[in-house]
Amino acid sequence: MTESENQVDKLKLEQVGKEVRISAGAQVVKQGELPKHFYVVLSGKLKVYRETLDGIRTDLTVLGPGAYFGEVAIVTGKPRSASVEAVEESTVLAIGKDEFDLVLDQNPKLARQIIYGLSQWLVEGDKRLEQETVHQVKMRRISWFDYVLILGLSLILALVFNLYNDNQIPLIHSEGDLAGVEVIPLKQAVDLYQKKGAVFVDARKANFFEQDHIKGAINLPLVFFDLQYPMFQFMLEQDKVPKDEPLIIYGGSTSRRFDLELARLLKDKDYKVMVLGSDYGAWQQAFPLEGHPKKEVHAMPLGIGGYIEWLPVSIFLLILIPPVRRSPYLSAFCRLLLGVIFVQFALSKIMRPAVFAMNVVDYGMMPAWAVNLWALALPWGELLAGLFLILGIRTRAAATIIGGMNIIFIIGLVKVILQGLPITCGCVGEAGEPVTWWKVLKNTGMLVMALQVFFYDKLFVLDRGGFIWREKKI
Amino acid sequence: MKRGLAISGAILGLLLCGLFLAGCGESRQSYAGSYRSVEPYAGKGHVDLELKDNGEATWSLAKEGIAIKFKWRVESDHIWLYNKEGGILHAIPSEGGKKLMVDLTGQWNPSCPTEHCLLFERVKAGGS
Repeated sequence: MTESENQVDKLKLEQVGKEVRISAGAQVVKQGELPKHFYVVLSGKLKVYRETLDGIRTDLTVLGPGAYFGEVAIVTGKPRSASVEAVEESTVLAIGKDEFDLVLDQNPKLARQIIYGLSQWLVEGDKRLEQETVHQVKMRRISWFDYVLILGLSLILALVFNLYNDNQIPLIHSEGDLAGVEVIPLKQAVDLYQKKGAVFVDARKANFFEQDHIKGAINLPLVFFDLQYPMFQFMLEQDKVPKDEPLIIYGGSTSRRFDLELARLLKDKDYKVMVLGSDYGAWQQAFPLEGHPKKEVHAMPLGIGGYIEWLPVSIFLLILIPPVRRSPYLSAFCRLLLGVIFVQFALSKIMRPAVFAMNVVDYGMMPAWAVNLWALALPWGELLAGLFLILGIRTRAAATIIGGMNIIFIIGLVKVILQGLPITCGCVGEAGEPVTWWKVLKNTGMLVMALQVFFYDKLFVLDRGGFIWREKKI
Repeated sequence: MKRGLAISGAILGLLLCGLFLAGCGESRQSYAGSYRSVEPYAGKGHVDLELKDNGEATWSLAKEGIAIKFKWRVESDHIWLYNKEGGILHAIPSEGGKKLMVDLTGQWNPSCPTEHCLLFERVKAGGS
């Protein structure tokens, strides 16, 4: 289908065919149907396009007066390779196959021009194919730079934002000067407990303390030290505890953030302070316990955010249908949904990193030095990866990062469930939501969505070669 | 390409506005003011809680010389008080903000648990 000026006059086609008026938007030929006519455009404007089975449309060209179309199918006898529809009201000359053959037999000049046109079409087709192949290769290519870009930018933004944030936290948390705090082995602590020679102080949050604690211990959660210290003093006074009686602090987890820092704070208040030594995590086996192991953890209802998170679960059903599984439109939907969810996750944490850092400590998976860095960088990683998915930038890398985060979240959630930790998720919203197997399923749904985006995303992508809007002409 | 960039820019702008607004929460005006605990705390006098319009709050126990700084915001008719260590206290206002029940557990509970609840009454409305 090649536009060629003044061709109608030269070819003397006026004796054959019949004029057909086509209203704007009407289809003249349909891709896939058997050819009956060859057409010459007399007036108006017509658009030639192809459409794949899954609905991706590629506009090929626009034809004006003097151009012709339909010659490929009429010459080869194969179904139409493209569709043509009128952009505006147009008139075409429709020439039947027999008439077309007759004109070609009597008009070698026209035959040569048709052959020339077909050859041009083939050459242009090859070029388009090459361009498309190069583009597809570029789009599927994934480089380390993409990951460095997203992760590096997240880290830089996190550090810069933290500098100016009213709720700033130190990059690496320090317990301060622990000189004067005695480390006591577990066995020795048990001896003191049996002799009633020490007061045991639980440094963990109230929900952990309520679940189980050493019988008779006092809870002084580190996060509310200033607030609850007067009550702690009051309790010691009520129990007539002499000031020189040792306080044994326990409640260390992987991060040991609570027990060591509380020991330092109480030492600064002139108490004789000890912390459990290398086997600090074994107190549950060594001491008699009390508490409410099955106490329900309350969580604030999340509203709309909570409902949106259920959508990934329904994606499971769509993924089971093979043609839908590979659909680039499903990828676009998954990208938008994942993007919105992760931006929402990020916004609930970015402003107050100290709160999120406490959530990280609750999971007991992170060493003390890494907690604050993780709490600062993760929300920015969620925000950038989410934005990149929504905007269509480096989507495969963004999907990989979000998939990776989901794997970490799933491991954390399963650990919490198996160990029965009394915490909320902390995933979205500061009050979080309960950690249940449903929550694990939601995260697994998001992981599946990230995989779908990684493998099949190709629509509305702002790529290295520019923005690819597949509805547009290529 | 230019249209795509414009759309991307617009979405980015909207999200950044969302980021800014997310930190603001609901209006604090109706709960700003000075509050005093109905009962003495830990036998050491009454606690004074000042909620300022600008989102800052102070928890003072004058007898002990303690003044703890918080940030506060309002969401779903609950007051959220944040300390710098990452702890959150939830307060449930009643009688149009004349009374506050502060949950000292640091956890979210649908209602303030009696044994860890400190009741405050407003002594002065508004905050500077």
